[in-house]
Amino acid sequence: MISLSSYLFISFTLFVAGIAVMIARKNIIAMMLGIELILNSAALNFAAYTRFINNNLEGHLMSLFIIVIAAAEAAVGLAIVIRFFQIKETIHIDDAAQLQS
Amino acid sequence: MEYTISTIAPIVLLPFFAFVINAFIVKRFTTLAVIISCASIVGSFFYAARVFFDFLNVFSADYYIHKTFTWFDLSYGSFPFKMDMGIYIDNMTATMLFMVTGVASLIHIFSTYYMHDDKRYGRFFVYLSLFTSAMLALVLSENLISVFIFWELMGFCSYSLIGFYYEKEGAGNASMKAFMTTRVGDVFFLLGILAIWSVVGSVSFVDIYQAIGMGKFNGLYALGIPLATFAGFSVFMGTIGKSAQFPLQVWLPDAMFGPTPCSALIHAATMVAAGVYLSLRCYPLMEAGHLTTFIAYIGGITAFGAATIALVQTDIKAVLAYSTISQLGYMVLGVGVGSYNAAFMHLITHAVFKACLFLSAGSVIHSLHDHHTHAHVQEMPRMGGLKSKMPYTFLAMLFCTLAIAGIPFFSGFVSKDRILGDALLMALDNKVYWVPAVLGFGGALLTAFYMFRMMFLTFFGEPRDKELFDHTKKETLSWNRNLPLLILSLFTLGAFYSGSLTGQGFIKVAGEKYEWFQTLIEKPNLLKFNNKESQAFGFASNPSSETFQKSKYDSNHGLSAEKAHHVHHVHHIGALISIVIAFSGVFIAAMMYFWRSWNPGFWVSLFSRWYRALQNKYYFDDLYIKGFIQKGLLPLNNFLAFVDMGIYDRYAVDGWEKVNRVMFTMAKWFDNIIVDTVAVDGTGASVRFFNVILRTIQSGKIQFYFIMIILVLTGYIWTLNI
Amino acid sequence: MFENTLFFLSAALCIIGAAGVVFSKNLMHACVLLLASLFGVAGLYAVIGADFLAASQLVIYAGGVVILMLFAVMLTGGSSENSNKFGIEKIPGMGSTKTYVFAGFSVLVISFTILKLMANFMKSYTKGELPAFSSTVEKIGTLLVTDHVLAFEISSILLLGALVGAAVIARPRKG
Repeated sequence: MISLSSYLFISFTLFVAGIAVMIARKNIIAMMLGIELILNSAALNFAAYTRFINNNLEGHLMSLFIIVIAAAEAAVGLAIVIRFFQIKETIHIDDAAQLQS
Repeated sequence: MEYTISTIAPIVLLPFFAFVINAFIVKRFTTLAVIISCASIVGSFFYAARVFFDFLNVFSADYYIHKTFTWFDLSYGSFPFKMDMGIYIDNMTATMLFMVTGVASLIHIFSTYYMHDDKRYGRFFVYLSLFTSAMLALVLSENLISVFIFWELMGFCSYSLIGFYYEKEGAGNASMKAFMTTRVGDVFFLLGILAIWSVVGSVSFVDIYQAIGMGKFNGLYALGIPLATFAGFSVFMGTIGKSAQFPLQVWLPDAMFGPTPCSALIHAATMVAAGVYLSLRCYPLMEAGHLTTFIAYIGGITAFGAATIALVQTDIKAVLAYSTISQLGYMVLGVGVGSYNAAFMHLITHAVFKACLFLSAGSVIHSLHDHHTHAHVQEMPRMGGLKSKMPYTFLAMLFCTLAIAGIPFFSGFVSKDRILGDALLMALDNKVYWVPAVLGFGGALLTAFYMFRMMFLTFFGEPRDKELFDHTKKETLSWNRNLPLLILSLFTLGAFYSGSLTGQGFIKVAGEKYEWFQTLIEKPNLLKFNNKESQAFGFASNPSSETFQKSKYDSNHGLSAEKAHHVHHVHHIGALISIVIAFSGVFIAAMMYFWRSWNPGFWVSLFSRWYRALQNKYYFDDLYIKGFIQKGLLPLNNFLAFVDMGIYDRYAVDGWEKVNRVMFTMAKWFDNIIVDTVAVDGTGASVRFFNVILRTIQSGKIQFYFIMIILVLTGYIWTLNI
Repeated sequence: MFENTLFFLSAALCIIGAAGVVFSKNLMHACVLLLASLFGVAGLYAVIGADFLAASQLVIYAGGVVILMLFAVMLTGGSSENSNKFGIEKIPGMGSTKTYVFAGFSVLVISFTILKLMANFMKSYTKGELPAFSSTVEKIGTLLVTDHVLAFEISSILLLGALVGAAVIARPRKG
């Protein structure tokens, strides 16, 4: 039961959920939740492959770096969101359109 | 320690980086630049010493390091065109490295004394650094192309150093002359490299030895002469140019226009040594081309002829310059008569004592300052009696003079005597070699004579220019003036080079009888290179004591006992003759210039025609200028100028203009109609058209972009055939 | 048995949490559900013996990222007025019918695509056997400072940059 297929299926579910969140939400913070989901699905994939196929620790390292990057991304992203809110008083994604004239 | 290219590289790169750094900072921070130069060459010396003592520790004639990397590889199919660069270090290279870095360090240190008041004090060190690094790179090179590169680099450096005092009349011409004369040899050298390449397919020394060992040169002819002879001759022409041998010796005396330390560097450690080093490296090629007799003749003629010219020189540096040519002649003679290690040994010993001689001469010249012309005095007729003024310089110079004259217990005797002994041996075997052998012995007599003539004229007797003498300060010991002289004069003792004081026997060192020079320096062993495939080639790492037993000294050098006895016998005779000759040369000089019982003027008037010929250097300069340059080169140049201006310019260039006009008209039409109207404006219109379409897609809604990305990715994945 | 139980629990937590994130109407609830989903992922890591990874997942995500998210939610929803000076609601709704239609369409497309990609793996790697558990912390540490030391250093620089960048961006400014 604990097999590569099941892991791939779970990661697939997470990925699809993340994509759905990214597309369906208009709230920037909610979209970042989707990003976290997608990153997690990728990390899970790495861990599963390294466990079931070549059984070394390279995949773990890759997952670790993904977690690191996710943390950095969340910090900077949320900082941008808060700044954006301070300026525009909204976190609607369609309002962040100043560069599109 | 494992030697790789990167661990050897500092030997070359330290002086080179010193050059690069100093080239930028020398104007503002002169003292710092000088310190960098000196420190880098001393550091390089320590590296080289490490290599040298490692090789001495292994103590095996077969041991060498050969490491390469591919420089470029343009091979196509079965047509090889691959160039490797790298290092090739055997005992000879290690010894050369040690000698070059050591002598160059001392010359650097001396230069801080000699050049200190010069207005281009710093720049001199920039050139010195580049010069030394080029020489070191040449010594380390593993193939002829890289030898050629650094060879030319040294040519450039000698050009700049000889023309260092470019305000002086003649310095510019002298540097040009040195450059152009060596260029004649270089052209031949390049030709020789190409000939070798065409046969071997590579120019690596190892490959050349291997090819000769396998007989690849056999039966190949170019223009009716055997290719090995052609290649060997061409490479040897490089030596002739660089080492100032018989037909091309004219540049070296003129090189005296440079500062004295640079003369020391050119004459001792770098430039001229490179030529002999090259012919030693290519010795199997010379042997395969049956060129040894020719080489021996060139060497003998040079050794004797230059010595005769040196007899009549009055400039102290000119005497030393001609003695350099003469000694180089001995080295080439040694190559010619097959005494490989003696020729190399003479290269080393000569480098040491000639560097010391030049530095001593520099010390003398620097002290003699003419207050009327504000110039340093080099003319021996204005010197005399300087022994009391500069006792330390006198002692150093005396040691070196004893060495170069071939007095026993000094290095010059050890090496020169071996060359002469081998020449005698060859002459006994083959009558052809009598001429070089006799010329060699005659040259030895003249060497002893003119060197002691120089000593007596400079240091002994009454001062001939009283005012100059009185103005000269008494020598005080200073580290950068006397330390190099002291070290170099110490190393003129023969015991450092041979196992014994006389150079004929051997002494016990640490319970083992050996004589390192004779044992370590061997001809490149062709048999060793023959079976390259069968053994691990280029072994270099970890010379442990299990793999390399300290080889026992073989007193017969692989000869049979009977043969060896004969050789020793002949060598003893040769040694005896050299000793007699050296002392008689000293005696004649003393009779003429010390006790003054013989009048030199009588001999001059007796051989007045010869005297004039000698003063005019056998009319070589006149011959080259009147004969070759004015009769041959100038008409040729005029003819070429006529072809260029009268024919090529007038018809080809001007005719081309007419064609261009027609083409221009056509091109203008094409440009206006096709390019401008259709292509340029059409592009604009199409861009505008697509712009309208694409603008609608760029909505600014991130979710929409996501969907686009997903669709594109999906489309891509579905086209895959998984 | 224990492993199977843990696996089922974690998988269920993970999938249910993810689904909750998709369908929740409340941002705060979505954050908490995301936390549940991440806990599930940590459990999945633990099942396949990646103990260090599971621990990092818990510490960094649960302790760091989700808390950060919650703070951001709180900081952006403070005022009592619902719309800003432009007349747009401050906290937009968690989706409209139109976006859900697009999302559903995309999910269908991406599902089929990924299933096409994974089909081969599903066939060939249906079974995996688990060797005995051994701690990975030491090995990961060794790998990080030997083979992957460059990536390690670069990620440290990245984190520093993110730290400084976040501080610079979010700091209150006058005017």
